[in-house]
Amino acid sequence: MSPIDRVSLFLENAGKAAAGTHRATAGKKLKDAVSNIVPKGAFVFCPRATALEKAAATSLDNLAPDYLSAQVTVEEVHAAIAETGSIVISSKRGKAVQASLLPSHHVAIVPRKKIFGTLNEFFTKFAASPPTNITVITGPSRTADIELNLVIGVHGPEKLDIIVV
Amino acid sequence: MSTQTSLKFRANAAKALQDDALRAAMRNAADTFGARRTSAISTLPDFEALREKASSVRMEVLNNLPRYVERFTANATKAGAVVHRAFDAAAAREIITGILKDRGVRTVAKGKSMVSEEIQLNEHLEQKGIEIVETDLGEYIIQLEHETPSHIIVPAIHKNRQQIGRLFADRLGVEYSEDPQVLTKIARKVLRDKFLQADAGMSGANFAIAESGSLVIFTNEGNGRMVTTMPPIHIAILSIEKMLPSLRNLPTFIRLLPRSATGQAITSYVSIITGSRKPGETTGAKELHIVLLDNGRSEILAGEFKEMLKCIRCGACMNVCPVYRAVGGHSYGWTYPGPMGIILTTLLTGLENSHPLVDASTLCGACNEVCPVKIPLVEFIIKQRAHRVTEGFSPARISFGMRLFKAVVKSPALFSLAERLASMFWPVMSAMSGKDVAGRLPKPSALSFRRRTT
Amino acid sequence: MRVQLFGTCLVDSLYPEVGEAALRIFKKFDVEAVFPKEQTCCGQPAYNAGYHKEARSAAEHFLSVFSGKDPIVTPSGSCAAMVKHGYPELFRDDPKLLKIAKSASGRVFELSQFLVHKLRAHKKKLSGTGKVTYHSSCHLTRMLGVREEPLLLLNALQGVEVVPLPDAARCCGFGGMFMAKLPEISIALATEKADAIISTGADTVIGGDCGCLMNIADGLKRRGSAVKVRHIAELIAEGL
Repeated sequence: MSPIDRVSLFLENAGKAAAGTHRATAGKKLKDAVSNIVPKGAFVFCPRATALEKAAATSLDNLAPDYLSAQVTVEEVHAAIAETGSIVISSKRGKAVQASLLPSHHVAIVPRKKIFGTLNEFFTKFAASPPTNITVITGPSRTADIELNLVIGVHGPEKLDIIVV
Repeated sequence: MSTQTSLKFRANAAKALQDDALRAAMRNAADTFGARRTSAISTLPDFEALREKASSVRMEVLNNLPRYVERFTANATKAGAVVHRAFDAAAAREIITGILKDRGVRTVAKGKSMVSEEIQLNEHLEQKGIEIVETDLGEYIIQLEHETPSHIIVPAIHKNRQQIGRLFADRLGVEYSEDPQVLTKIARKVLRDKFLQADAGMSGANFAIAESGSLVIFTNEGNGRMVTTMPPIHIAILSIEKMLPSLRNLPTFIRLLPRSATGQAITSYVSIITGSRKPGETTGAKELHIVLLDNGRSEILAGEFKEMLKCIRCGACMNVCPVYRAVGGHSYGWTYPGPMGIILTTLLTGLENSHPLVDASTLCGACNEVCPVKIPLVEFIIKQRAHRVTEGFSPARISFGMRLFKAVVKSPALFSLAERLASMFWPVMSAMSGKDVAGRLPKPSALSFRRRTT
Repeated sequence: MRVQLFGTCLVDSLYPEVGEAALRIFKKFDVEAVFPKEQTCCGQPAYNAGYHKEARSAAEHFLSVFSGKDPIVTPSGSCAAMVKHGYPELFRDDPKLLKIAKSASGRVFELSQFLVHKLRAHKKKLSGTGKVTYHSSCHLTRMLGVREEPLLLLNALQGVEVVPLPDAARCCGFGGMFMAKLPEISIALATEKADAIISTGADTVIGGDCGCLMNIADGLKRRGSAVKVRHIAELIAEGL
């Protein structure tokens, strides 16, 4: 699979799983994308641990000190998987996996180089010594426990937006 | 483990068949699941090859189970988990109560776990004064109703939205609504506080990875992520056969399990938890306890039903079962319903308890066709029926009839005579066996086919 | 070509006209059909109920009656499946009988399967009348893998309109002894099947197993329906 195909397959499958999908180039375009996606005035958690997170944070005016009180989390992901349209969050480098869980809106920044083609490619890489937590996320949280009716947004985010950079 | 009186499948089923709301809910569930599964499977290039692969991975695990359990234990321990072995339900309950009591835990937020149902953990903990809150929406609904799950994936599948709306209004003091969206948001709000306040989290696991000592949990709602990462203590309970050799094997099961279960290409979340929180980390329970439950598995492993342990608890067999669809999960009377439930209940609680259950199949074979790990469910049910005969749990009148059959079937003359007698005495036989049985058969032809041809 | 016809118990005592129809079809296609007089039951009721000793008695008798090399043809998917899959299982620990069982297993055909694969009957000029729908019996469909053959035959019948049955392969609730042991469920499934049949607007429902057809007929009767229930052999024979 060519890198270009991988990006389109990833976005296509993420879209099928009810995630909002966006493309941007690093820098100004990313800032624009983030400010378009994040509602005005929302209380946002952004770890600002990577260059992309730092760039994204400059467009956010109401930053939250932690994910517990935040309405939105904006963060760069650990990886992504084209086959399933998933993003991957990991506990590596002190990252809090819960930041992608508690706020009702999750905005994930995915550098295109971090997109794996298949589940096999991804898991082979971590098989021997995975970090404490790897969470593969595909779309927002959901349930079908009442009459098999699909309801988006249960305990996790009600909204997932993905920006491929 | 087993109760003294046997399960009352026929009486339960007859009652369920009179419950129109239940029947409508089950029909909706079966039809929806059926369509979703079929469409999800169609996106796979080669479903058959994938089933074959999954089956062989599971067989490899079972062929060397003690080795995989040992490897898992060593690697999970290395990653900071405390691994406990429980031979039976009582031992598991004791271990878990001990962990919670020692740490002064008062409230536990719990994710879905069928094994915890199997060992009746909630009842036990409540008796010990520990509050245990089910956080999966379906489990939460049935906990409020004081019921047991009627499906292994969708526990409240037997209830309709009106019943759930009334339940929430009664128990939570909220305004009545029958909108699933509204009801779900109510549960989100109520349970969010529980996640943040709980002293401990508890979960099951879909798989345990021997090579890395990881637990793998498939969830959709996010509650599984909450209970495993928010409270300081996480206790996971799983049965020993849930091993997979390596995370390298996981993609096959990610492709098969959600598709077979709910018709999803993948669940919203797949969590891979490897040990407890390490220095410098901000994720993971500070204490992770893993309780590996045997509760009859080693015995199954050594016998002719070993392949039953390949089961990955997707629920596909019940979703396609015409009997399950008609009568719902509670009719089966124990933790696991449907075709896999018939077999497991018999293996785990004994024929003296389960023997009426082995009749609960038309042997239509729909289950065999969908099982993602190719368990010969129909063949196993027939085998358990054979054990029922040899162990003396088959009704005497049927055994008598079968002895007659054996005598007659080898003699064409007697066989032909029996047919003629049946035809002659049909009104009597029909009256004797009742309108529900012989009353449904046409009267035998006066001149049988064999006598017409010869 | 010569075949041995296994009538089955249900055809023998309840539906002899189905056996006669099969004979007429064979005659039309120049197939010599032998009906071994000593035949009794294949043993499936005992096998499925777990009475394997009794089932073995029936199977041994069957194997002694249906010896030789000729194909064994039967108008029942369920009985054919018993011979095909049940017999090798019953004699797995008896090498001598296993060999004989495997020979029978390789020679047994359900009628529509034989008509399509061996006689190419669906390519011949056939006719009939009516608007029919087809119930895909469980053992025929899933154990023998005969899914398309009956439909190929029905579609080959000039003058017959075939309408699809919703969830055609869902069990009708017969299940052999199941109908007697759990009659409440059996009736519930049969009436649900009847509802599906009625919804098609067909005047006749066709099947390939008399047990299922019997239960379906009962379901239709309970719904007060006039839809006729017939074995595929009857419909084909009628138009010859």
